[in-house]
Amino acid sequence: MKPLTLNFRNKAAETMGDKQVQQSLEHVYTGFFKGRLEAAGDTPEWEELRDKGKAIKDHTIAHLDYYLGMLADNVEKNGGSVYFAENADEARQHIIDLAHARNIKTIIKSKSMVSEEMALAESLNDEGFETVETDLGEYIIQLAGETPYHLIAPAVHKSRLEVAELLDDNYKSGDRVPDATELTMMAREKLRGVFARADMSVTGVNFAVAESGSIALVTNEGNGRMSTTVPRVHVAVMGMEKIVPSIQDLSTMLRILIRSATGQRISTYVTMVNGARASDEEEGPEEFHLVIMNNGRQNLLADPQLRESLNCIRCGACLNACPVYRKVGGHAYGWVYPGPIGSIVTPVMTGLKDAHNLPAASSLCGACLDACPVKINIPRMLLELRHRTAEGSADTAERTSSKAERGIWKLWRAGMMGRKRFDLGARLSWLLLRPMAKNGWLKKTPPPISRWTSTRDFPIMASSSLRSKLSKRTKKAKS
Amino acid sequence: MTDREKFISNVTASLGRSTVLVPSDESGTDSTAIFEDAATAKSHADRAMSYASERSTELIDRMANMAAVNGWKVHRAGNPEDAADLIADISEQKGAKSVLRSTHEVLTEIGVDSAVTNTGATLGVTEHSGSIDANKIEQAKSDAFTADIGITGVDYAIAETGTVVLHPRSGLSRLVSLAPPTHIAVLRPNEVLDSLTELFAMERNDYLSGDLAGSMNLISGPSKTADIEGTTVTGIHGPLEVHLIILENR
Repeated sequence: MKPLTLNFRNKAAETMGDKQVQQSLEHVYTGFFKGRLEAAGDTPEWEELRDKGKAIKDHTIAHLDYYLGMLADNVEKNGGSVYFAENADEARQHIIDLAHARNIKTIIKSKSMVSEEMALAESLNDEGFETVETDLGEYIIQLAGETPYHLIAPAVHKSRLEVAELLDDNYKSGDRVPDATELTMMAREKLRGVFARADMSVTGVNFAVAESGSIALVTNEGNGRMSTTVPRVHVAVMGMEKIVPSIQDLSTMLRILIRSATGQRISTYVTMVNGARASDEEEGPEEFHLVIMNNGRQNLLADPQLRESLNCIRCGACLNACPVYRKVGGHAYGWVYPGPIGSIVTPVMTGLKDAHNLPAASSLCGACLDACPVKINIPRMLLELRHRTAEGSADTAERTSSKAERGIWKLWRAGMMGRKRFDLGARLSWLLLRPMAKNGWLKKTPPPISRWTSTRDFPIMASSSLRSKLSKRTKKAKS
Repeated sequence: MTDREKFISNVTASLGRSTVLVPSDESGTDSTAIFEDAATAKSHADRAMSYASERSTELIDRMANMAAVNGWKVHRAGNPEDAADLIADISEQKGAKSVLRSTHEVLTEIGVDSAVTNTGATLGVTEHSGSIDANKIEQAKSDAFTADIGITGVDYAIAETGTVVLHPRSGLSRLVSLAPPTHIAVLRPNEVLDSLTELFAMERNDYLSGDLAGSMNLISGPSKTADIEGTTVTGIHGPLEVHLIILENR
């Protein structure tokens, strides 16, 4: 998927002006955010589970090379095949080649954010394979020709009316809008037909277990189960960070993932597969393929300041908690991963220079850190990326600040470093701004400060500082 | 260098190392607890099973409560005859014409077959003999997609989450609990585990002793979605209705 991160401001403004989408975004708060809080509250050992989850991920990422080897060995031992893809192009091409070689006609896709990195469904359709998204939200998005709006609720921005127009072949404008149940049943009927004829499936991976070569899939709808049951070829795609070492780790990871994602204690279905079907089974795929993709994740891994972001288990809790995401919506972020965690991984995976607005789109309130099931310190990393866009790190090409801006901040820093300079600066700013102010507030200013004053008033310095007032008082009291 | 070697050496370099570091070679605190040895795994699995039979009554009550929360329609049957009657009732209520069942022992114990056929429905068993060919596969698929009810036993249940665990195998197809619009699961008393911890402890022990099943499904209620305006709707790709029959005595 081509990044559109440069459009952040425009897209955010557009979304904030769209009443219908703003209303739809309320579900993110009333449904998911509150659900997570309740689920965590009902779980006495919640903090312990988060610490355990963090420890498991920290350990795995610190030994990712070792566990990748172990996972690949065990998948192969189970009779599956493993393909290591350096980037999205390689991964996509491998899957296309597989489908051609197996003479595939119909492909069912289960939800997978990694496949969005490859724009996989679109590419497979272009290659002539009937490729259908089977998660209801993804299906709606596919019919609309859009990209997912949220990690776990891809169509959260769509109204019932829009869904009716996409799903119901007989719907004419002005008709009664079918309710959610009727629409869901329409989708059930349509997708049942697709399941019956599918000969290949592509699924994501919630967790890959290194020691046994198993993958775990979490769904409420049952499309994950259909995908591991009906077609003769199953291809699972994963980002290289999605590993846990041991089968036992699943009990911790499933508990924190599901509670954080939807507020459920468990999702309707958790499916664990260790390769293709057993020799005594009539159902299940004949072939199992695992595609493990890097696609720029090594830049996060090699960066001690940002490595922690690879602990992410893609639950979406930070999106639901974020006051900015809940207003600007998922499409503003311009690439596969929206919200607070997206504001870290997107700039690194697609280039910070074009995505510099993403880490800036945060009030640093810390709600994402509070919500994160593996305690990823998102605000710290947002600040780090802001620092890089302002100052440039090892790579000054990432720097987006202007010479003038940097000059102003240098001056500011110099002014803040000494008592006398600070007092002089404060006095000067008062003298300069006083003529433009009304009762101590600036209401209108010339550019570039006008960007501030167009939405809020700006307070000018007081005529004398608290410090000088205090010292005058003390002198008076003494005399 | 193969793709795999290139990929992994890239990761090693990103970690700031030149060779793969085996976690147990470290002196750090996080290194040893990751993989418990086989003896510990076995003792965990044994404890999980003995707990399941010692605390059976309590675990069944918790299972019944949590299952109801997840949307299972929970029935308690005092004896096998009651369980058979319950199944016949559901079958009649649904106007079922074709019913599919697994080969779980408990189903023959309660006499499911006659209970179902007495209602006039046909009964199929997800069992096959001899070699598996393409025709058999297509037939099994179409049987499952046209069945009105699927009936299974339970391999394990999990009290913490109200979950039924099934390990697909010969005699227990993957689709019998998924494709028909109604699924009925029959649970026996000492099959209920305390929590996910116990389930995965047992899975891990199975793995270490070479007995890990090819796949596993955790089922916690009817298929559902909230993808349209956040409204929860029951029944999207899997069953619209799921019944849990708890057989109290055997």
